[in-house]
Amino acid sequence: MIAFDLHAGYGDFTLAARAAWETPIAALFGASGSGKSTILEALAGLRPEVCGEITLNGRPLQGLPPEQRRLGWVPQDAALFPHLTVRGNLEFAARARELRSRGATGRRALAHAAGDGSASAVTCAPDATGDSMVRAIDALEIGALLKRRVDALSGGERQRVAIARALASAPELLLLDEPLASVDRPLRARIIPFLAELPARTGVPVLLVSHDPLEVRALASHVVVLSAGEVVAQGDPRDVLAAATALGNLEAFAAENRFDVSVLQRGPGTLSLSTTRGCRLEMAAIEGFPEPTRVAVRAEDILLASAPPGHVSAQNVMAGRVTLLESLGRHVLVHATCGDERFVARVTERASSALRLEPDRQVFLLIKAHSVLALG
Amino acid sequence: MSAPADSAADVLDIALLTLRVGLLSTALILLPGVALGWVLARCEFRGRTLVQTLVALPMVLPPVAVGLALLLLLSRRFAFGRALEDLLGGPVLLTWWAAALASAVMSFPLLVRGAEQGFAAVPRRLEQVARTLGASRVTVFRRVTLPLAARGILYGIVFAFARGLGEFGATTIVAGNMPGRTETLALGMYARIENFRDGDALVLAGISVVLAFGITWCAELFLRRGAGHSGGGTPRAKSGLSAAQGLPARGPLR
Repeated sequence: MIAFDLHAGYGDFTLAARAAWETPIAALFGASGSGKSTILEALAGLRPEVCGEITLNGRPLQGLPPEQRRLGWVPQDAALFPHLTVRGNLEFAARARELRSRGATGRRALAHAAGDGSASAVTCAPDATGDSMVRAIDALEIGALLKRRVDALSGGERQRVAIARALASAPELLLLDEPLASVDRPLRARIIPFLAELPARTGVPVLLVSHDPLEVRALASHVVVLSAGEVVAQGDPRDVLAAATALGNLEAFAAENRFDVSVLQRGPGTLSLSTTRGCRLEMAAIEGFPEPTRVAVRAEDILLASAPPGHVSAQNVMAGRVTLLESLGRHVLVHATCGDERFVARVTERASSALRLEPDRQVFLLIKAHSVLALG
Repeated sequence: MSAPADSAADVLDIALLTLRVGLLSTALILLPGVALGWVLARCEFRGRTLVQTLVALPMVLPPVAVGLALLLLLSRRFAFGRALEDLLGGPVLLTWWAAALASAVMSFPLLVRGAEQGFAAVPRRLEQVARTLGASRVTVFRRVTLPLAARGILYGIVFAFARGLGEFGATTIVAGNMPGRTETLALGMYARIENFRDGDALVLAGISVVLAFGITWCAELFLRRGAGHSGGGTPRAKSGLSAAQGLPARGPLR
C-alpha cells in the first residue's frame, strides 16, 4: 500500500495531490507541467519544499533523507554516472546499499547485544547485495553491456541500465519518470511488455509517470490523473480513461495547450474557431458531436518551422515568437506566442538545435486540424 | 660592481627553491581553494558576490599592494603574524615561507575559479540519483561530485602552481631577495638585470620557460587522457546532442 498527500506552492502554481493504491504498477498521468515529475521527486526526497505525508507499506517517509527512503528513482534522462562503466554504475548502487544496510545491521546488532546478548546475522547483507545486482542484471537483460562505457549506449540501453541500477539498490518501489520518452517507437513495443512484467520478475512495485494514455492503459492497473497540480481522477485506467473518452477526447486529457473557443464558421468537415485571445484555429469536425467550447492541443502535435512553410496539409499555420525553452532531458518544451495566444510545443533536443531555437526567435507553428481536440 | 657569474649549482638552487615555494603555496591553498570553489558553485547565500569579488581581488590589485598588505599582516603588529611566528619558531618575513604565502595569495583566485567551474559543470541530477541509491552526502561527494569536477580542479591547481612560480611583486615585498634563502627565479632574474648580468638573467628566464611549458604540457596530456569520462571522447557525444553532460537548469516544475 502506497499513499501520499503532498502540498507545495510555487508562485502561481500550487501542488495539492493526494492518492493511494496497492497495485503492482501505478501511473501518474497528466500533461507536461501538471506536476507529475515534481511528485516523483518529492517521493524520492529531492523536493524539501514539498510538505505532506508519504507512506510506503506502513512506513512513513516524510522527513527522511533520500538515501534512507529505499525508492529507486529513474529520471527521464537516465542520469547514468558518465565516469563509470555500466558495471560501475550498478556497483555504485549495490555498494551504497551495502554500506547503508551494514550500518543498519550494525546498529541492530548493537541493540541486540545490549538487549539479550545474541548478535544476529551480520553477514547476510553483502550476499543480499550481490543478489540484488545479479537479479537486476538478469531482469533487465544487460549482461552484455556491463563493460561498456555509459556514453556508448543507445537510448533504450541507457534506460534499462538506469532501471537495473535502481534495482541494484534493492528499493521497495521503483519510480520511473517517462520511461519510454527517450525510446523510439519500434523499441517501445518491445519494452512495454517488459516493463509490465517487471514487478513480477523483481518483486518491486512500480510507479511510473506518463503523458501517454496508451502507455498507461498498457501498463498500469491504477492511474492518478493530474491537472495543474491537482489530482482530478484516480482509479482503474479502464474506467478513468473511459470517462475521459466520454468527456471528449482521451488524448486531450493530457494536452498541454487548452483554449476556450467560440465557433466562427462551419465548413465541410471542419470548424473554424477563435480562442478568447483571438487566435484562429481550424479543427476537424466530428459528425454527431456537439460543437466544442474548449479545445486542447498536445505539445508534441505542434510542428515547428524556422521559415514560412510552403504548401502543407496542416490547416493551421501561424507565425509566432519563441518566449522560453524548457529542457526535459532529451526533449525541449518550446513556449511561443502567436499574437496574444500562448502555445507550448514539444520537440526533440535534436530538432531544437537544428532549428536553432532560442528566445525571441521567429517560428512557424503548424497544427493539423485533427490535432485540435475537443475537450468539452 | 658586477658579481661573479652563476655556477650551475647556483642556478639549480634557485630553480629548486622556486619549485619548493610553488609546491608549498599550492599545498597551502589546495583545501581552502577547492572548498570555496564548491561553496561558490553549489550554495546560494547572501554576500556571494562580495566573496567572489574578494577572491578575485589579488588578480586585479597591483601585486605590490597585496605584498604591502601581507607585510602588515605577517608583522608582529598583528595577532596573525605573531601566531604564525610562534608556530614556525621564528620570524616569517624574509623567509621562503613568506614567499610561499605571497604566491599562495596571488594564485588563490585561479584555483578557486577552476574548482568553481569544475563543480558547476557536475549535473545536480547525478548527485540526486546517487543519494536516492542510498549514498550519503559524503559518499556522493567523494565518488560522484569530485571525480566529475576533477578536470576543473586540476586546471585550477596547475594554473595556480604555474602562477605561483612566477610571482614577483608581492613576493619581493615580503620575502626580500636573499640569494640562497628567498631568491626565486623571478626575483633572481630581476636582481641580475639590475646588476647588468643579462646573460645570467636569460638563463633563469630560460628555466622559467622550460618549467612553465613542462607543467602546462603535462597537465594538458593528463587532462586529455582523462577527458573520456567527461563526455568529449565519442562521436555520439561530439554531435552535441547527448544531453547527459551539460544538463541545462530546469524550472521548478515539469
